[in-house]
Amino acid sequence: MMDSSMAKTETRDRECSTELRNRRWLSPTVFELELTRPRFFEFLPGQRIRLHHRGIERDYSLISTPGDPVIALCVRMVEGGRMSPLLASAEVGTTFHFAGPHGYFTLRKSMRPAVFIATGIGVAPFVSMARSGVMVSAMLHGARTPAELYYESLFRGIANQYVPCLSRLSSKIGLPENVFEGRVTECLKSRLEPGLYDFYLCGRSEMVRDVTLLVDELFPGSLVYTEIFY
Amino acid sequence: MKIYTGAGDKGMTGLFSGERVPKSHIRIDAVGDLDELNSFLGALEVLLSEDQPLLLEEVRRIQSHLFQMGAWLATAPGSSLDLLEEIGSEPIMALESAIEVMERELPVLKGFILPGGHRTAALAHVVRTVCRRAERKVVNLLDPTDDGKSSQQLLQISAYLNRLSDFLFVLARYCNRLVGVPDILWKP
Repeated sequence: MMDSSMAKTETRDRECSTELRNRRWLSPTVFELELTRPRFFEFLPGQRIRLHHRGIERDYSLISTPGDPVIALCVRMVEGGRMSPLLASAEVGTTFHFAGPHGYFTLRKSMRPAVFIATGIGVAPFVSMARSGVMVSAMLHGARTPAELYYESLFRGIANQYVPCLSRLSSKIGLPENVFEGRVTECLKSRLEPGLYDFYLCGRSEMVRDVTLLVDELFPGSLVYTEIFY
Repeated sequence: MKIYTGAGDKGMTGLFSGERVPKSHIRIDAVGDLDELNSFLGALEVLLSEDQPLLLEEVRRIQSHLFQMGAWLATAPGSSLDLLEEIGSEPIMALESAIEVMERELPVLKGFILPGGHRTAALAHVVRTVCRRAERKVVNLLDPTDDGKSSQQLLQISAYLNRLSDFLFVLARYCNRLVGVPDILWKP
């Protein structure tokens, strides 16, 4: 019900054309796309666009900032997916269409400390926020391996407490600083002091569910904002 | 795409402004009534004659306004209000215009009428009562000590629902009129 035309920024929803400028692989399965920024296209850090290409539509969070001359997305190659292989192989200069900006997963003004919790490429909306100068109390960054801690150095610079949570550790050598061995939910239980926080969660629905239920139990009175990545 | 997360399985839910509240919270109660009202309007729309495109369009517009108003009900006072599109007086004025148009074709009412008649009219009356309940729930959210943006918008929504129930009353009579069914006058 909430994801409607209610948000102010949603009223700017329009169809735009954009052109692929560059692609940068972050790992064998994750890449960034840099696209030309349509004139008058505005958004808030944390918002997403709906990309259209060859009859397929997918939502992607913007990882660029509102002040950047280009717009950028972070894409995960989905096995058996239809859009991500197209984006992975599209040539520079390819034209795409998109609608947006959409969503309200944006940083709210608050006196409470903010805590970002992300898994996988659920980091994407936080990248735009971090690049826009947002500072937070803590960030729990979930991934399977150190190589999948995308944008780690960026997040270390914006969080007083940055905790990489690795669920598949094969070696204890070369681990990132302050690493937590396990899932973000386990980390939340053991690393975050009791108190009132503004939680921002982005990742798979199972993580969002588990963390939300933990917040109800361990941090009652805190606020929770969520964005689910599929 | 999965529609569920399961985060509400233990009786709590989230407001647009981030608060975690029990599902029995007065805001959720009001949101639920608005949702019910909107759903009943959808059912009414199905029964309305396709010969009345302007009426169908009006109902759709109302549904859209209710959707927008639901966001305000689900938002506690605070910075999240800044993300919402304000509701002005235009939706109320549109309802008033629609009421006037229908009333021009109706005989003057000379007493109380019983809810009923044609099935569209009967359903319009049901929707009207749901609308009245939603209005009461919205009034329940009003804080007389607060004159901020949230309260102003709640007042606007309450006024809209008040006018909407008038619209639905007239619509019920109008629906009867369209099919030649007279008002059922109350006989004490």
